Amino acid sequence: MSTYVYGITAASHPSLPEGMGGVGDPSRPVRILREGDLAAVVSDAPEGLRPKRRELLAHQNVLSEIGAAGCVLPMRFGSVAPDDDSVTGVLAERAEHYLERLHALDDRVEYNVKANHVEDAVLHHVMAGNPEIRALAEANRQSGGGSYEDKIRLGEMVAAAVKAKESEDGAALEHALEGAADAVSVGPESTGWLANVSYLVKRETAEEFLAAVEQVRADMPHLEVRLNGPLPPYSFVEPGPAEPAGTAAGGTDAEMG
Amino acid sequence: MTVVPAQQTGGGGGSSGLYDVLELVLDRGLVIDAFVRVSLVGIEILKIDVRVVVASVDTYLRFAEACNRLDLEAGPRKSPGLPEIVGEVTESGARGKSKGALSGAADTISDAFKQAREGGSERETESRPRTRKSTAARRKEEQE
Repeated sequence: MSTYVYGITAASHPSLPEGMGGVGDPSRPVRILREGDLAAVVSDAPEGLRPKRRELLAHQNVLSEIGAAGCVLPMRFGSVAPDDDSVTGVLAERAEHYLERLHALDDRVEYNVKANHVEDAVLHHVMAGNPEIRALAEANRQSGGGSYEDKIRLGEMVAAAVKAKESEDGAALEHALEGAADAVSVGPESTGWLANVSYLVKRETAEEFLAAVEQVRADMPHLEVRLNGPLPPYSFVEPGPAEPAGTAAGGTDAEMG
Repeated sequence: MTVVPAQQTGGGGGSSGLYDVLELVLDRGLVIDAFVRVSLVGIEILKIDVRVVVASVDTYLRFAEACNRLDLEAGPRKSPGLPEIVGEVTESGARGKSKGALSGAADTISDAFKQAREGGSERETESRPRTRKSTAARRKEEQE
């Protein structure tokens, strides 16, 4: 029976969620494997585990529960060890490293901030700040919407201006919040958002961080700012920038091409 | 973690907040090379789909339409007016293609999750490959 691993924590963690429901249907009960000063939070790995929404949530819920009472190094979803012994083997082998990370992340949580433009607000910004776009839009409107080519030309200019505004606002947002955080991890770029940034925040200064987010919302009303946290420090388990999961995506891409 | 509610999403719907967290669960966190990872094929596709290329004719046309509709005199709205506009465009235009990047991504995600929930039943997957292929193709073009 292979072993699903949720996270690594200190053996001295005051409240590990032993018996809580984990991944699988029915949920496999959470177990604790101890090795020296470390503990791994695990369950049996269900056969054919897939990245379904309920499994991802189960993973996140177990980690939230551990994180609520102490520091945890969260595993990326879907980590499966051949058996319990190989888990404790890894704990023993890399004890020093994990203890150092637990110490570095102690009393700290992750807040993830994602932001989008409110579309008509950003279009206003773009048109107000660009006479050429404004003139072209007006000309198109006068002629009942404009020809296909006119529309493409206008749209192309607007898209470029919106893109520039996205970079500008993304950088401004990142900068506005970094002062209230211990560390920053910038997530992968995507057109789903103009900023995707995780901040490592000391629990005791969380109020300040939240206030900084509110300030950004007030200062940049043309942004929709989504804040999630406190979370286990997913983006800060390794020192330095989190490695992207690019290899797997590339493989899939090639397969499809 | 007792001071602050577990989730503070400002303005956004519950599902987008959920996706925002799941993205972290899937993409970040500790990786130990001695362990294997369950196959995430469906999810990798989801990630590719999220990266819809912004510079497309569809986007240009959508922006042009939105600009025509925009009343400059009214001033920027402070409250998010996005759903309204996206909704209109989605309904009037060809579904799927002319959708905003945002709502397109959201749909893709919910589709993928729905697909995953239903254990990859053929009925659900049948409608997907074309989108995947075109997105992959576009991505390829982008890389070249």
